[in-house]
Amino acid sequence: MISVSAETAKAPALDLENLTEAQTALEINDLNLYYGSKQALYDINMKIPKGQVTAFIGPSGCGKSTLLRCINRMNDLVDICRIEGSIDLHGTNIYDRNVDVAALRRRVGMVFQRPNPFPKSIYENVVYGLRLQGIKDRRSLDDAVERSLRGAALWDEVKDRLHDNAFGLSGGQQQRLVIARAIAIEPEVLLLDEPTSALDPISTLTIEELINELKSKYTVVIVTHNMQQAARVSDQTAFMYMGELIEYADTNTLFTTPRLKKTEDYITGRYG
Amino acid sequence: MENMNLNKHISGQFNAELENVRNQVLVMGGLVEQQMNDAIDAVHDQDKDVAKRVVERDRKVNSLEVSIDEECTRIIAKRQPAASDLRLVIAIIKTIADLERIGDEAKQVAHMVIDNANKTQPPLVSVEHMGRNVVKMLHESLDAFARMDVEAAVKIHASDAKVNREYESVVRELMTFMMEDPRSIPHVLKVLWAARAMERVGDRCKNICEYIIYFVKGKDVRHIDSEEMESLINK
Repeated sequence: MISVSAETAKAPALDLENLTEAQTALEINDLNLYYGSKQALYDINMKIPKGQVTAFIGPSGCGKSTLLRCINRMNDLVDICRIEGSIDLHGTNIYDRNVDVAALRRRVGMVFQRPNPFPKSIYENVVYGLRLQGIKDRRSLDDAVERSLRGAALWDEVKDRLHDNAFGLSGGQQQRLVIARAIAIEPEVLLLDEPTSALDPISTLTIEELINELKSKYTVVIVTHNMQQAARVSDQTAFMYMGELIEYADTNTLFTTPRLKKTEDYITGRYG
Repeated sequence: MENMNLNKHISGQFNAELENVRNQVLVMGGLVEQQMNDAIDAVHDQDKDVAKRVVERDRKVNSLEVSIDEECTRIIAKRQPAASDLRLVIAIIKTIADLERIGDEAKQVAHMVIDNANKTQPPLVSVEHMGRNVVKMLHESLDAFARMDVEAAVKIHASDAKVNREYESVVRELMTFMMEDPRSIPHVLKVLWAARAMERVGDRCKNICEYIIYFVKGKDVRHIDSEEMESLINK
């Protein structure tokens, strides 16, 4: 009898509807979102498991980025945006009146489509959040820089030029620097909004590899237009369409045997 | 064919590629069916020439398998098919492997006819009868594949048991023959192998039916009994 080694055996898929509290990082309940009079999200209910990668896919304008931005209250910056429902981060509703939004965003980091390093040195980019928190000790800043850059798989490439301007890095390196900046403050959740859509295929693979490593420490939520990328990097995939969550399942199932025809049509490139 | 939805992709080129590879499978299936038919005819008529043609033509079956395999590899590399498209490509790759082996079995039967020509024949009626049943099963399997018909696939899948029973009775019959006249053992054994080849064709048709179910339902129904299979399909 040949036994299957631990590495190759597939981990059993989580039961997404019945996650225990300890397994859940985020719980979204009856979320409705309106831009002025136009509703952009309809009754979203889902639990996002801790320490895993969850991908949102769907056509342009389906609300996946909007939903992602709800998780660290980026939509608060949009005047006409109105939100109903709740999002619990490890048990507490982030839309509670007494939640400090700045503190929330320290717990929920975000990386955008285009790399947006600050016009400063690589070092200063990474420690930016820490300095804002008032940390001045040189030693702990140095440690944080090395730890974060290693975490973002960038350390070996930049360790000899930490004080060079970040704009001198390639696009893929800049994006990893931005990820390093996000993880320097040790958030619980990392939101990635199409993190590789402005990058070449090789940098994309580096970032994808990185995402796989990040999930050992952080809960990662990623929005991507690239379905194959979602298939490669995520543990769970949520398919959204016209502001609704259509199907949410473990990635292996969703990409081989989706339950609904709408999902099937989208991931196989058919017009519905 | 409607349930396959092959022509609904945004990429017309992808539609054409899938349709083309599927058609090639049907062509290959037709050829293999003809091979089996001719082999059984050769048994019936003791016709060495027909048998030789079957052996000859097996090369064509093999080359079709290779070219369809290549086409499937290309589709996977270029299109990264997902969900039902992926299942279709996988089902095709597996089906053609079984079709190729069915071609080999036809060749095996043909070899028996060639080797045993001009020798006193054991009763071939029951072997031929079994062969006809197997060809029918093959024909129905290919038909079900063309239409991706799960209901038919389940029915054909179950009918393999009948072929197995028939094979057992052929074996008993041939054993009696060998006991009666030990000198006949060498060529009766060849007949036995031919019967065995036919029985294997039944098993391979069963496999093809399992791939049909896998494609349509997304459920893997290999290595389970028929009751489990039914409940899995209807779930």
